[in-house]
This record gives sequence, structure tokens and C-alpha cells, in this order.
Amino acid sequence: MNLKRSLDAGGIVFPVLVGGRLLLALTNLSGALKRDHQLSSPLTSYLNLQEGIFLFKNGVDPYSGGVFRHSPLFLALFTTVLPASRTVSSIIWTLCDALGAWALVQVWRARQQVAKTSRDSLIAAAYLLNPYLFLPTLALSTSSFENTLALLALMFAARGDASRSLLAAALLLQFSLSSILLLAPLLLLLASSPVSQLASPRAFSANGKSITSFVAEFLAYTTVLTLASTLVSGGWAWIPQTWGASLTLPDLTPNVGVWWYFFTEMFDHFRPFFLMVFSVHLLIYVAPVCIKFQYDPLYAAFVLLGVLGTFKSYPSMADPGLFISMIAIFPEIFPCKHPIVTALLHLHAALLMPLFHHLWLNQGTGNANFFYATTLVFACANGAALTDCIWAGLMIAIGEPQEDYVVVQE
Amino acid sequence: MLHWKCRLLWSLYFTLAGFSHSFSSETFEEELTVQTLRDGKVATRFSFSTVLGGATPRNPHNLSIEDDSQHYTLFPLTLGQILREYAVTELHLTLNAGKWNYDRWGYPDEEGVGTGAELWAWIGDGAVATVDERWRDLRNALAGLFCASLGSLDELRTTAPALTFTPGALPDWPLPHAIRHASLPSEHVCTENLTPFLKLLPCKSLSGIASLLNSHRLFDADWHGMGLHVSWLPDDGVQVRLTFQAVTDPLRASSNKRDWSFASIFDRSIERACPVAASSRIVVALPVNAAYSINPQPSSDEQGYATFNVAEQAKPLDVSMQWPANFEHSKSIRLATYSVTPFAESPLSIRRTLKGSTQDHGKLSVFIQNDATTTTEVAYLETMPWIVQFYLHTLTVSIDNIVRDDLLKNISYTPPVPHSRAMMFQAVLVLPARSTVHLTIDITKAFLRYTEHPPDAQRGWDLPPAVLVPLGGLARQRIYTPTLLVDLATPDFSMPYNVIIFTCTLIAFIFGSVFNYLTRKFVVLYKESN
Repeated sequence: MNLKRSLDAGGIVFPVLVGGRLLLALTNLSGALKRDHQLSSPLTSYLNLQEGIFLFKNGVDPYSGGVFRHSPLFLALFTTVLPASRTVSSIIWTLCDALGAWALVQVWRARQQVAKTSRDSLIAAAYLLNPYLFLPTLALSTSSFENTLALLALMFAARGDASRSLLAAALLLQFSLSSILLLAPLLLLLASSPVSQLASPRAFSANGKSITSFVAEFLAYTTVLTLASTLVSGGWAWIPQTWGASLTLPDLTPNVGVWWYFFTEMFDHFRPFFLMVFSVHLLIYVAPVCIKFQYDPLYAAFVLLGVLGTFKSYPSMADPGLFISMIAIFPEIFPCKHPIVTALLHLHAALLMPLFHHLWLNQGTGNANFFYATTLVFACANGAALTDCIWAGLMIAIGEPQEDYVVVQE
Repeated sequence: MLHWKCRLLWSLYFTLAGFSHSFSSETFEEELTVQTLRDGKVATRFSFSTVLGGATPRNPHNLSIEDDSQHYTLFPLTLGQILREYAVTELHLTLNAGKWNYDRWGYPDEEGVGTGAELWAWIGDGAVATVDERWRDLRNALAGLFCASLGSLDELRTTAPALTFTPGALPDWPLPHAIRHASLPSEHVCTENLTPFLKLLPCKSLSGIASLLNSHRLFDADWHGMGLHVSWLPDDGVQVRLTFQAVTDPLRASSNKRDWSFASIFDRSIERACPVAASSRIVVALPVNAAYSINPQPSSDEQGYATFNVAEQAKPLDVSMQWPANFEHSKSIRLATYSVTPFAESPLSIRRTLKGSTQDHGKLSVFIQNDATTTTEVAYLETMPWIVQFYLHTLTVSIDNIVRDDLLKNISYTPPVPHSRAMMFQAVLVLPARSTVHLTIDITKAFLRYTEHPPDAQRGWDLPPAVLVPLGGLARQRIYTPTLLVDLATPDFSMPYNVIIFTCTLIAFIFGSVFNYLTRKFVVLYKESN
């Protein structure tokens, strides 16, 4: 009934958006998009998921090879509960996006501490109409599930529902190892409130005991889900194939991230070192971001999602897409530092990436450097959006520049 | 002093006599078969067989203790050492160049005609050194012996297709055995491989049939390939067979005649017989319904085959065959009444292609036409290096665009592991009588590290041939499809430094900007009036 109430509150916009998306899902676009390297990575590709399900059903361990890198929970889900036909899958994926949009609206409402706002429809539209998000969904990339789980975890945390939030986070961890970054701000959010404190920075004040119990609960969920995965797949082989893959990068299929070409061109004797550097590099952001935004953990989670979208090992368009759509629930940071530059960088990358990808692999008139260069621009765009948001989030506390006052560094 | 020398000589004599006595059961036989094919080409096949009587392959359990010393008179010592060192029971190595045309040439005398290098071995299990370790060492030893890049037949290409590559003699092995198979279609056979091949023969290329092995002519042939086959025949002993096959074309634009002679094919004749050969025969398949003349007079002429006993024939021996009639290409190919003795005709005709123009995915399409009037079952084997990955859920089998999934059974599949293990797909395919089965499967092409590409990366990768083995009914002879060439996406090989620098700079820039903001603390100060 919660959903019903929010649907009523959202008015006609939300059902119309979901209906439109469902219509889009029923077209034959997924057949054309499912191979696209920008919309799904080897870890989230629908083709690989189908192959894994096929092997699993026919008694071959899908984790004995190198094609299937999805979590065993997906195997369990699609071999028992859900059918694997493409039309049904398209509808499920779209409904999953709708759930994500609903969760995002709920996060916004929890942040504003109101039941209904005029901005709800805009936020739902920002999620459902973001091409970075709906194209991967049309391509049936499982990153849609990851995004929805991340939003559900944040939503439950914002509402103070610790168990469900931690369960969603544990599930998300099963699907994507790098989402462990979100755990710290999630715990802080559970221990404090989602209300915007960007304008009034203060030290974090909550009892640490509850956090310890949250961590214990998260570990318990993770252990149970890990054991369940092991039971489903009949062994531990899934760990190096799923979690391990995002650390060791065995599949160098091009994607929108910065890892693939770097490790294609890497000298063999430096490979382990740089894999370590790139993995640790992601973790480095957690503590500083959480300390700086300790007064607003939701904002810290948002910033870390931006970091993940830029630097994770197997990103698809959906990862930066989630970060961009989430900007909608932080209206206080508008305008950012360089909104036009960032938007143009994104436009540049979004137009040239498919073009250069096509020129390189299909047309044969471009080489790998073309696509690599556009992924660099895309990383610049994501980095610019990230730094813009951090800057804006910090400057809210300073307020509008006023006469006779100057802003200086301490 | 003289007396002492005499005693030394005597003892030496007895030692040698003892050795020769202990291996008196070593026999060496050589044979050359010559056959004119349907399309006018001439197929020649050399076979040199040495049998070590009463010998058995080494028991892998005894690998840790010192082996008996090896003394051979005819058996090649270098090969014997390799076989004993790694306790190999059965071994087949073929190095071929060209595509064997089953439709025109029928089945070959030696069935291993896959393009490039192919090595497979049945190795006894149970030793301290695992099968895979001994397989690796065996590859490297043979690579050294034959001057071929067999070291490249590594884990990336090794599979274990037990259904398709059954052991030749199928003896009742007391030990569990494992098969290892690898093929390298891009390997080319050349003179440097023939020289060590000849060194393994007791008469080298000095006398006997082997003196016809003229590398200038053999490697000029339309199709040529050499093979090494080691098998254990429980009744006889360990057999080493060295083979060389070639298909030459005697037809010329000026004279459309199928005439051939040793002088025209090999530019050589046999000057003397190999003295240690127990038998040395030349077998020529005779035409059925055509006029011909053969010189010199064969030693025997039975069932369409003229046999020459090299030891008895006058030297130099230059066998030749003349055809009075001109060869008419189209007629002999199209008409059912062939004017030459046909090979065992192949009722199966296979076409295998890789479709798709993009560098990231494609579709493998295989047409198998069964001309026989009975339903046939074949074992179908695809082995691929990991660079090509199958999407097994897209596999379809159809006849005339009607899906027939019931035709494919007993699928066994080993998925590929990136950078380490090859893919193997093995199944039993039912081919209904007089039908064409169409098999398709989607594939994805891998993206390689820049160090994994060969020096001529733009040329593409040769993919191993598929292998079909008719089960029951037809002759159980392996059929190899032609190889495929796959075009993989390449990175820019010239700029690893640039990529490392660009990416690191970008990461450092974003990292720096983020931490710049995170570590600053801004305060608002009241600006005092000047």
C-alpha cells in the first residue's frame, strides 16, 4: 500500500512514465542492444547470463569456464522463479527500473521529511528517462538490478529500516564486489538521519554501538547469502569467477571504464601491481568522503556512487547513470561549479562513444585508440560531475557570497 | 700385446653380438603407394614402420626408478628415449600443409590430414609426474626433435577429446590412460622438419624408398604432410610408423596427360634397396576402365594393385605410368563411372564457415551433407582456443530450415578459460540419409592483451579444424574440416606507454581534484575596510 500511496502522490506522471517504458521494453530493441559493450559489461551481460543458465540447466558447471560471471543468486532466480524468455525479461527489467525510481522518490521524501512534494514526478522522470539508465535496461544488463538494490538499500536506510537496508546491501554485494564502498555511508545513514545537513556542518553524533550491531547484521546476511550461493553453484568456484573477476580483470572486453584498455596495454610484469593499485584506489575514497560529509551520510553515499561510476572495474553506462540521476534529489547543490562544461563533456562522450566503437569494431575504419579516447573523455565527464558535486556540497555551508565578506582557506 | 688386443676385439664382438641378438625382433618395413586421383592428381604415401618386437610401453609407476638401458639397431633411439622418458603409450604427430579435398580425393591413406600441426597422445596415469606435466615435456621434446613449434601446443590449445581420438590398436590396457590433444593450424611443415624425420629412418634417405623423399619436390606438391605414429600392438610390440603423404599434379596446360614417373614426381629414382628392410614394396593402384601402361614389369599384379618388390627389381628403379588418353577434367569429376580406381569415397561432405563482419561476435555455420542412403551417426568435435567462445544456448541444428534438436546428443562441453584453457565441444550428431544438416552457433571473439597477439596480429588467428568420425556403418575414419581464420580486434601496439600515461594522468587528476576539495576548509571572514 506504500507503493499505492506514493503512486497516488506522484499523480499521473509516474504511471505514464512506467507505461511508456514498458512499451519501449516490448519493442525489439533489446535484440539490437544486448551485445553493446557500453550498455553491459561481461559481468552484467544478458547473453552471458543466458549462457550460464543454459550450462547450469544442462549439468555443466558455468563457473568452470570464463564466460559466466554473474552471481549464483541470478542462476537460482532465473532457473526456478523467473522464466528466461526475452519478452518477460524485458518487462521484469523495466519493472525493476520502476522500483528503483520509486525508491529514489522515497529517498527524496525521507530527506525532505514530507509525504509528498511537487518534485516527485521530476525525480521519477530523472531516473526513468535517463538514457544512461534505460538503455542498459533495454539491453537487459543486470546492472539495473544492482542500481535498484543500491537505491533500495539507501531508501530503507533513510527510513531507518536497518534490517532491510542491510539485506539489500548484502544482496548488492553478491552482485557487485565494488559496492562494498557504499557500506560505510550506509551505516552512518542508519545511525543518523537522511535530512540534508549540507548547510550546517557539524560533527557526527551517534552511538557507535548501534553501528557495531549493524556491521554484525550485515556480515551475517553476507555469510548466509555467500553460503546460499555456494549451495546453488555446488562449490566455491563462483568466487574467483564473480568477485575475483572485478579484481583481476580476466575479460578485456571494451567498456566505458578506464580499466580495460589500461590492462590491455599493460606490461605483463606490472599487471598485478597495477591491478592492486586500481582496486585500492577505489577504497581510498571511502574514509575521506565519509569523514568530510559525516554530517550528511546520504550525500557521502551519493559521492561514492559517483566514484564507483567513474572508476569501478567493469562499469556500464548504468553506473554513472545512477549518479547523474541522483543529482535530482539534491536540489540544494544547484548550480554546480561548471555545469555547462560537465554537461558538454557528457554530450561529447555519449555521442562519440557509440560512433567510435562502431568505427573500430564494425566498420574497421578506426582503431582502438578512437574508442579509448572517448572513454577518457567520459571519465573526464564523470570526474567533472563528481568534483562539481563535491565542491557544491561543500560550498552550501558557505552560502551566497556577500559584500564585505570573503571566503578564505583556513 | 697382440694377444691382449685380440681378446679385446673378441669381447667387443661378443658384446655387439649379444646386443644384436637381444633385439633380433626389430623389423623395418617400408612401403610406397601411388594412386591417380579422380581429378587427375597423383597421391603418394610413404610408410616406414619399425616394430620393436615384444616391447611394452613403460609403466608410468616405474618413472621414478631408473629405466633399463636402451640399445636399438633399427628403432630410432632419440624417439625411443622420449617415449620411455615420459611413458607414452600411443603418440600421433602430423604436420600438414594444404587442405585435403575429401570430395575429390576421397579418404586419405593416412587419416591425419588436418592442416598444420596436430599432436595427440594416450598417456598412462598413475605416475608421480602428472599426465599434464609429461604431456608438456613430450611436446617440448618433440619440438626439439622435429624442429617444429610444437611448444606452442600448450595449455591454451590442449583438450581431451576421448570420443573422437580413440587409441589405434585398442589393447586391453591394465592402466588408466588419458588423452591429450592439441592442434596448431598455423604451423607449416617445411624442409627443416623433413631432415630430422629422415634421421629417424635406419637407411636415412640414402637407399630404399626413402631415397625418393626429395624435399625440393615434396614441398612443392599441392598437398603434403608428414606423420609420426607410435602405437603399442600387444601381439607384436611397439610400432613406430613414419609417414609422408603428398598430392602432386601431373597435368600441364601443354599436355593434358596424367602420366607420372618417379623422375617426374620426385626427380629421383631408387638406386639401391635398403639392406635392413624386411620388406620394401611399391604399390601402384591400377586404373579400372582405362588404357594404361606401367613400367617396369611389376613383381605381382593383384586386385587392381601392381606391387614392386624393391629388393628384386633392377636398379635404378623408376616406376612410371602412361595414359594414352587425354584427361578430361569435367567428365571425370561429374560422371559416376570414374576412369581411375576411386578411393573409398567419402559420403560426407562438410562446409564450415565463420560468419559476421564485426570483430566482437560472429556465427559459426556448419553444413554436413550425408549422401549415403542410410542414417549415419558421427562424433563431432570442435576445439577452439579461448579467443573464440561459443554461446551454447544459441546452438541450433536444422534440416532445410526446420529445427531438429533431436539430431544432437551426448554433448560434452569444456568451457574455455580466458588466457589459459581451450574450449572443447564434443557431441554425437545423427545424419539422416540423403540430407544436409545445418548447425549454427553464435560465438564471441575475445579481446586479448597486447602481449598475447602474434607479431602479424592483423592477419588473424587460424582456428583448428573440426573433426568428424563416423560411428558404425561407414569406415571409422576421421574427417577434418578446413581451418578457419578469425579476425580479432587489436589494440594499438605502439602505445602502451601512452595509454599508461594518459589513464594514470586522468586518474591522478580526478583523485587530486577530489582530495583537493575534501582536504580544504573554507571559512568566511569579514573584510575589514581599507
